[in-house]
Amino acid sequence: MSMEDYDFLFKIVLIGNAGVGKTCLVRRFTQGLFPPGQGATIGVDFMIKTVEIKGEKIKLQIWDTAGQERFRSITQSYYRSANALILTYDITCEESFRCLPEWLREIEQYANNEVITVLVGNKIDLAERREVSQQRAEEFAGSQNMYYLETSAKESDNVEKLFLDLACRLISEARQNALVNNVDSSLPGEGKSISYLNCCNFN
Amino acid sequence: MAADLPAEFDVVILGTGLPESIVAAACSRIGQRVLHLDSRNYYGGNWASFTFSGLQSWIDEYKQREATTDEPVTNKEQILENEGIIPLNQRDRTIRNIETFSFSKSEDSNIVEEIGALSIKPELLNTNPTDGDQPLQESPAPEQPELQEPQSESVEHQETTSESDQIPGANIAPNSEGGSTTDAEPNAAKVCQTESRKSITYSDIVREGRRFNIDLVSKFLYSRGLLIDLLIKSNVSRYTEFKNVTRILTYHNGRIEQVPCSRADVFSSKQLSMIEKRTLMKFLTFCADYEQHPEEYQDYKDSAFLDFLQSKRLTPSLQHFVLCSIAMVSKNTNTVDGLKATQHFLRCLGRYGNTPFLFHMYGLGEIPQCFCRMSAVFGGIYCLHHSLQCLVIDEDSKQCKAVIDSSGKRISCNYVLVEDSYLSEVTCAQVQYRQISRAILITDCSVLKSESDQEISVLTVPSEDGRQNAVYMTELCSSTNTCMKNTYLVHLSCPSVKATAREDLEPVIQKLFTLDADGGE
Repeated sequence: MSMEDYDFLFKIVLIGNAGVGKTCLVRRFTQGLFPPGQGATIGVDFMIKTVEIKGEKIKLQIWDTAGQERFRSITQSYYRSANALILTYDITCEESFRCLPEWLREIEQYANNEVITVLVGNKIDLAERREVSQQRAEEFAGSQNMYYLETSAKESDNVEKLFLDLACRLISEARQNALVNNVDSSLPGEGKSISYLNCCNFN
Repeated sequence: MAADLPAEFDVVILGTGLPESIVAAACSRIGQRVLHLDSRNYYGGNWASFTFSGLQSWIDEYKQREATTDEPVTNKEQILENEGIIPLNQRDRTIRNIETFSFSKSEDSNIVEEIGALSIKPELLNTNPTDGDQPLQESPAPEQPELQEPQSESVEHQETTSESDQIPGANIAPNSEGGSTTDAEPNAAKVCQTESRKSITYSDIVREGRRFNIDLVSKFLYSRGLLIDLLIKSNVSRYTEFKNVTRILTYHNGRIEQVPCSRADVFSSKQLSMIEKRTLMKFLTFCADYEQHPEEYQDYKDSAFLDFLQSKRLTPSLQHFVLCSIAMVSKNTNTVDGLKATQHFLRCLGRYGNTPFLFHMYGLGEIPQCFCRMSAVFGGIYCLHHSLQCLVIDEDSKQCKAVIDSSGKRISCNYVLVEDSYLSEVTCAQVQYRQISRAILITDCSVLKSESDQEISVLTVPSEDGRQNAVYMTELCSSTNTCMKNTYLVHLSCPSVKATAREDLEPVIQKLFTLDADGGE
């Protein structure tokens, strides 16, 4: 595979309490699957989906927490060099909403300043069990400068829209950054991945 | 929270430093059920890196721990008749005597108070010097961190130096605040904060504090070292980002000089004469495959590398470059070891850039986390801020069959790996420890100015009499994501010789940051 089969590459990272449907969102988007009663995924580091927007190929690398959120033990390095964060909660679970400020603190601490954060209320297919109103979530998202979207990984509602909107925002952001061309600030991804260099250096 | 931890694992690992994290990743990768714990609420243990405020909390935490007594709590109900226990420490005793210093006067009195709160009082930690049970086989020179380096003491110097229009020397006149340190125990570690009167102020540093990733243990990696190989083979490299060290510096004849090490460097060097260039190139070419020419060094096999260098007619400057900055060995090192080290250096050169070393973006503290992520991806269960009270030993087989966690829950397992700072003194009575003195500084100009303000430099400062070990310094620029813009993060370390880390390192710091005035031009 050549390095140039896409125009943009973005790293998107999912966070949020255990059981809110992060993995399901990713699998729905990347594979079109909704695995019911799915346990912890073993061996899957990140999923990749390439989408085309206005004739440009955007490669989205979507990272999941690998279960480390279960005991609040996500590594800081997970946040590094993420271009976007999807902060997910479960609309049928008040607790997962109440934990959002804690997650925002982690983002503040470890993620890049320029990171785009989207708040996602998942499981709208279970509307009859809703505990967090849309209005409350919208207000919260507004106060934190986040985009807000409600989704159902199960019914595939808004999942596509979530990732595609995000991709569009990332592109326009990237364009702006390229214009500003801030030489001093080190952007994520500026460092070199050793394995990539490795394969280039071997004769 | 821990209530829903499973009661059975194959492997329980306590401590998230680099060695433990590598083992965790390896075990998960082969399908073992791994539980990985750390008593702290952050990853890495003594390998961690911190933001500016994070470092302050870390220091505070150490103070607090110092104040609390270490009572082993054990839930005896969980222990069966034919079982014994090995109690574990509830606090880390490996780092001693952290000292904080403030070196400059500030204009902003509000801020001064804030610094004072941290830096007036030298933080003294009377912790035991226990850490790192494996005696090191290799030099304390920049090494692959998979060698567990006993980090028995950590010196943290943080200071910013005035960039002003004056001579670019750092302003390190200890003021009364920081100077009054009492070392009840040997090995002081210090945090020095110096405010500069211009450009970068302490409040800037506090405000931009999260731009800092201050490693407790700073290392850089040989680009063909074992750790790099492991990162690539294990795929953990996909989580990592490196930068090449851009300059190798040395302290020679009272000034800081750049060491020419690649072919291009040697040719473009202004400090070497034509003859020196030829001699050095010839010598380095020989070292690259010295085994092919045994006749060249046969007679010096049993003598010191330095003697061999002399026999090769290297001028004193060249001897210094090769010995201190390329081979990075001491004057007593024998010829074959010196040749090996030189060869390793040369082999690493050019793999990723103009020097043989790599530095991890965001600090070394990321690497253990990357291995932990790999372990988690393969099913490892992670729980920070959660420790073990004791190990449960079967009296008959003398094997550890279970552990009791900090909530009193019994977890059975086949294997246990415990970072040695959790082991009591009694348990580690037979272990020899080695101590390292460390200092960390925040400065606002480089020890050796160059066209770019984004250099990552490695500097060797040989001891004056050549008998003691050299002091190694790394200077990181802001593009490594370890410090804020217009600052440099400087780490110094050497094996502890004197009673305190301060005594070990202060002379070098004073030398570097005052002599800099001459070297800067």
